[in-house]
Amino acid sequence: MTPLRITGGTVYDPANGVDGKVQDICIEDGKIVNSVPQSARRLDASGMVVMPGGVDIHSHIASSACNQARRLLPEEHLRDPVPAPRLLERQDGPRSGTGGTVPSTFTTGYRYAGLGYTTAFDAAVAPLGALHTHLELDDTPCIDAGFFVLLGNDDFLLRQIAAGEQARARDYTAWLLQRTGGYAIKIVNPGGVEQWKNGGRNVNGLDDVVGSSNVTPRRILETLADVGNGLGLPHPVHIHCNNLGRPGNATVTLESMKAVAGRRAHFTHLQFHAYGDGPGGGAPGGWSSAAPKLIEYVNQHSEVSVDVGQVMFGAATTVTADSAVEYLLHASSGRKWVNVDIELESGCGIVPYSYREKAAVAALQWAVGLELFLLSADPWRVVLSTDHPNGGTFLSYPELIRLLMDRTYRDEKLKTINLRLLAGSALLDGLAREYTLNEIAIITRAAPARLLGLGAKGHLGPGADADVTVYSRNDDIAAMFATPRYVVKAGQLIVEEGQLRRAPAGARFSLAPQYDQSIEGHLKRHFEQYSSVSLANYGGRG
Amino acid sequence: MTKDKGTLPFRTCLGCGCTCDDIALEVAGGRITEAGNACDLGRAWFGDGVVPTKVLIGGKTATLEEAVDRAAALLAAAKNPMVYLAGDLTIEAARHGLSIADRVRARLDSPASDTVVAGLVAQQTRGRAAATLGELFNRADVVVFWAVDPAERYPRFRERYSADRKGLAAPEGRASRTLIAVDVGPSKGPKDADHRVSLTPEQEIAVLGAIRAAVAGRQQPEGRSLADLVDRLKKAKYTSLVYDAEPSGLTRSQVRVEALVALTQALNGPSRAALTALRAGNNRSGIEALSTWQTGFPFAVDFSRGFPRYLPEESASQLLQSGGIDLVLLAGSPATVPEAVRVGLGSVQVIAVGPRASEVSPGFHIAVDTGVAGIHEEGTAYRMDDVPIPLRLAFSGPPAAREVLQTLNLRVLANGGSR
Repeated sequence: MTPLRITGGTVYDPANGVDGKVQDICIEDGKIVNSVPQSARRLDASGMVVMPGGVDIHSHIASSACNQARRLLPEEHLRDPVPAPRLLERQDGPRSGTGGTVPSTFTTGYRYAGLGYTTAFDAAVAPLGALHTHLELDDTPCIDAGFFVLLGNDDFLLRQIAAGEQARARDYTAWLLQRTGGYAIKIVNPGGVEQWKNGGRNVNGLDDVVGSSNVTPRRILETLADVGNGLGLPHPVHIHCNNLGRPGNATVTLESMKAVAGRRAHFTHLQFHAYGDGPGGGAPGGWSSAAPKLIEYVNQHSEVSVDVGQVMFGAATTVTADSAVEYLLHASSGRKWVNVDIELESGCGIVPYSYREKAAVAALQWAVGLELFLLSADPWRVVLSTDHPNGGTFLSYPELIRLLMDRTYRDEKLKTINLRLLAGSALLDGLAREYTLNEIAIITRAAPARLLGLGAKGHLGPGADADVTVYSRNDDIAAMFATPRYVVKAGQLIVEEGQLRRAPAGARFSLAPQYDQSIEGHLKRHFEQYSSVSLANYGGRG
Repeated sequence: MTKDKGTLPFRTCLGCGCTCDDIALEVAGGRITEAGNACDLGRAWFGDGVVPTKVLIGGKTATLEEAVDRAAALLAAAKNPMVYLAGDLTIEAARHGLSIADRVRARLDSPASDTVVAGLVAQQTRGRAAATLGELFNRADVVVFWAVDPAERYPRFRERYSADRKGLAAPEGRASRTLIAVDVGPSKGPKDADHRVSLTPEQEIAVLGAIRAAVAGRQQPEGRSLADLVDRLKKAKYTSLVYDAEPSGLTRSQVRVEALVALTQALNGPSRAALTALRAGNNRSGIEALSTWQTGFPFAVDFSRGFPRYLPEESASQLLQSGGIDLVLLAGSPATVPEAVRVGLGSVQVIAVGPRASEVSPGFHIAVDTGVAGIHEEGTAYRMDDVPIPLRLAFSGPPAAREVLQTLNLRVLANGGSR
């Protein structure tokens, strides 16, 4: 690959302590290097902003659940047709597609690239559908990708917890990651999905019993946090807490954080788990922001990281393994609803949704997310997400960045929303903070890469993957981040003058941790009794 | 791994949507001598694994390269081409066929538009209340076969996934469960049902509505057998409701499937329930999944404007018979094409790439024999519940459909793709 020098840009590379310094970025063989020959191709970035390619730590882009959502939404796809891009190199095979909140795979890859994002993780893959995720990712160009494997309601794992078999839980997790080609452990509503599938609606608290008296949400959290850290996984256990979207759920969220205190753990889409039950201790049916309380805990505990899961006004699709929640959302919204129970592993629920400025709860959710960002003391541990497409699509990230960087804009927006549930909130009282470009570079690339343990992503030091995004400065911050001028992916210029010009296949992040082979004997018996798929054919592409 | 002689365990059968992956193939001398664990349908699907290896242009023997050149030229010249993804294609092969459809701005379709269209559109209207098949035998204490006896077209469904298999909440299998048959006209449930309700086809949709209302506590249904059914559904811990989504004696009514979905959804909350749509095999569900992730639509996709449009109102057979199509790239096994489509193919030029393409009479304009997915070609197929299952090689055969379609796709791309 021909060497490239990006010249004269103002570089934000927080992982290497570079905060707005004019310097050249040199690229050779897909990597960042110290220097390239004077004859190397030059890309003039004078006056522009240079950052590492964006890294999405939590998104739903390639899974059986996503495909169920796509199938459910033909009306959205009809409204957002996407012709094939005009690419420079024919072998990249440009493909048409459709958008909406859950775009087709090729369109997903193109749109991430067009946004300056070059790495993304699907945050919820049932092991039974891991092969499906690989097949979708094969058709998702431009981004390097991986996925998290759902384990918090897995029957075999819960049996090990019931029996106190910690070592076997660890071996099983390692085996499963290897079998599926997954990257991290995901817990969704620990115990609650199993409870829903078993007819019990949901769990309410950390010490509710799930089947065996030894199994509680608390034990599931402790076990898997220890397993993740014991295996030395690059990303710690990725936790979607109990009671998502319910008023007063901040209590169980805080308890969950305390349950794994002292262990590395990532709490995802914290916004959806940060609600109080009304001012002054709560009234029945009350809602309020508990963001200050939760973020205070996060600020004080360096082993905890979170992504926010911001809600953005407009169309969304709620798609989650937390099928118990989707039952409630369907019941309250009356919108069409998909529920798929995934055998002894997980669930899947989908309801199309829309967040409206004039809806009191949606406005509260919007404010809670912003409070988490604005009260965060450490951008390296509080990173950007919308839980795409649950809180809004990834295309809304530029608008979110503007809300964080521009207080005037934010305050104007605040005047247009329903304030009924915001009385006494930190945001309404006035939060003056404005994110800097360096902080934006942290929460959108440097920190997600670090939290994921991706040493070659999210920075521009020698040896890093040459994923670089160059933005033209614009007073409208949202416009600036929505249309990068150049995007370099693995050393190739894929976006030029704001146009997608190349669409190479991305790489896949998979792990193969070691495990004690004797686990396979236990699994053989378990599969013969309880699985619809032969053990030999299970899991996909390990 | 392939062997000259011996047993190949854990092979996957595409004979019906059960997609059983426990087949032990006995092979000797490049033939299948036995498909252990398979049912009659499965043994017929595997056959002896011997397939022709011909490449024909206008009925005359040609090289693969000549056929690909000619096919690419025809696709480039066609005014209204169609790419038809038939059965027994791996996902890995079909994705190249879909890519060709996009590049030449073709109509893309599959057997879905002539078979399960009503059910797919009903799901798009209402959603789903479903489960993967393993959940059925692990959870269900009540199994309702609605106007279907799976023994006929899905022989191992009960033993592997449903009423007869032991599971978590049904340690004695069949004995732990209540089996209910709902007969609708001539479409009858299993003979060994514990309870039976008989309806005329005219009554069916109204009765589904009445049961739903009764489950929701709004009214009591008329008649003792219906009241009994409602009572059992309300008391069930987990109901597995099963119907046949493929063509049968019953009208292919979207309203009917919507009523089944709505009833199952209504059972969730007060109890738990899942609706299973029995589907034919040949990886047809997989083709719909692939089309959905690449285009946003499961079938009936029109690329003529340079992007996917969804036109589910017009089936492939109707399009062919109305003269709206001048060339078809038929990928997959011609034997899996619905009869109405097969008739329509008689009036257009056809490029056929699939198992036994050369044996179809009258002959296609171009016929390229390929191996069979899961015998001569590895890859992935989907079960009726959208679960992907790996397909392994038994032994080598004609060129893989994946290779032929990939080569054609690259040729179309090199020619400039869209018109």
